Amino acid sequence: MSKIPKVQIKEQKLKTKRRSEDKFAYRTVVISTVLSLIFFVVSLLFNTAIFSFFANINLIFDILDISIKVVSILLFFLFMMISLGNYKEMTGKPLDWKEVLLLFILSLGQALLNYIVFFFTFIGLLLILIYLYLVQES
Amino acid sequence: MKKISYSILSAIILLNLLLVSSLFIINSYAAAEEIDAEFGDPPKIDGDIDDSVNEWKNANKIHINLTDLPIDLWVMQDDSELFISVQVDLEFSAHNSTEFIALLISNSSSENQEDFIDAKIVQFSDIQTNKFVYLDYEINNSLFLNDTYSHGEGAGKLDGKVSVYEFSIPIKQPLADGYEEDAFLEYEKSYALNITYGKTPSYPDGIIKSEIVLIYIFEPSVPEPLYFDVILIVLVLVVFSIVGVLSGYYIYKIFKLKEKMERLRS
Repeated sequence: MSKIPKVQIKEQKLKTKRRSEDKFAYRTVVISTVLSLIFFVVSLLFNTAIFSFFANINLIFDILDISIKVVSILLFFLFMMISLGNYKEMTGKPLDWKEVLLLFILSLGQALLNYIVFFFTFIGLLLILIYLYLVQES
Repeated sequence: MKKISYSILSAIILLNLLLVSSLFIINSYAAAEEIDAEFGDPPKIDGDIDDSVNEWKNANKIHINLTDLPIDLWVMQDDSELFISVQVDLEFSAHNSTEFIALLISNSSSENQEDFIDAKIVQFSDIQTNKFVYLDYEINNSLFLNDTYSHGEGAGKLDGKVSVYEFSIPIKQPLADGYEEDAFLEYEKSYALNITYGKTPSYPDGIIKSEIVLIYIFEPSVPEPLYFDVILIVLVLVVFSIVGVLSGYYIYKIFKLKEKMERLRS
C-alpha cells in the first residue's frame, strides 16, 4: 500500500508531462530559429548577389538562381514563424498580428533587388500565411 | 554725258570689287556629306557581314557614288573604334582581281588634299580567291609611306558580285607606338574621309574613283547613376541589417527564457 496520496501522484505526473512539453517546445524554438537563421544567411548571400554563380549563364541557371532566392526567403519566414509561435506560446502570450506583419515585411524586403523573386516571394508568403491560419487551433 | 561717265565708273568699281573679293574665297571642294557614326556592337572584321548575329545592325547606312561608282557605305562606332564598311556592287566580270578600297583620313574636317595624312587600305591580291592585305600608310606630300606600326584592321571578301570591305580605325589612340603616323581621331569631332577605289596596287596613282565624306564621332555616353537601384540596394541592406539585429535580440530572449524555465523548475 503506497503512502503517497493519489492526487499527489497525478500532480507529479502532470508536472513531468508539462516539463517534457516545455522542453519539447523549447527545443522546437531553438531548432526552428537555427534553421531560419541558416536560410537567412543563404538568402543574404544570394539576394544581395554576394554569391552569383548561377546568374546570367543560361535560362536554367537563371531559374535555379531565382528558385534558391525565393525558397530561402520562404523557409526563413516559415521557420521563424514556427519559432516565434512556440516562443510566444511558452511565454503565455499570443502571436500578435503586428509581429507577423513585421516578419512578412522583413521577409519580402529581402527580395527587393529582383522583381521576379519579389513576385514569387510575395505569392509564397501569402500562401504560407493562409496555410498557417487554416491549420492553427481555433 | 555725265550720266554715262557715272555708269561706267560704277561698273568699273563693281567689277573691281568682284575681282578683289574672289581673292578671299579659298579654293576648296564642295562641302561633303556629314555622316554620324552610330553606336553599335563591334563587328568582326573579316569581310563577311553576318546577319545571323545582327552584325552592323546599328550602322548608319548610306548610298553614295565614288565619282560614278555607286557604293554602300556603313558607318558605326563603339567607345574605342570607328567601323566602316564599303560594299561595291558590280558585275562579277567588272571586279578587278587587284581592286582596293582605301580610306584616306584627314586630321580634321578639312577637305584640303594636304590634310589627308593617313590611309587604311584593303588591297586584294586575287579577289577570286579572296586574298587580300590590310595596309596602313602615312601620307606625306602625296607620298604614301608604309607605317612602322600598323594600326586598325581591314578585311575584304567577294560575296557574289558584291565586294565587301570592312575597316576598324582606333579612336582616341594613345600617343605611342607609331600612332603619330596616323590621324588622331577624337570624340565630338568631324573628320573628312576620302573613300577611294582603285584597280592596281599603286598609291595614289592607282586611285581611279573617290568621294569625300565627313564622319562625326560621338562621345560615349556615361551611364547615368540609377538612383532607384541605389535606393533599392540600400533598402535591402537595411532590411538584412534589421533582421540580423532582431535575430540577435531574439536569440538573447531565447537564452533568457531557458534561464527562466530552469529557475521555475528548481
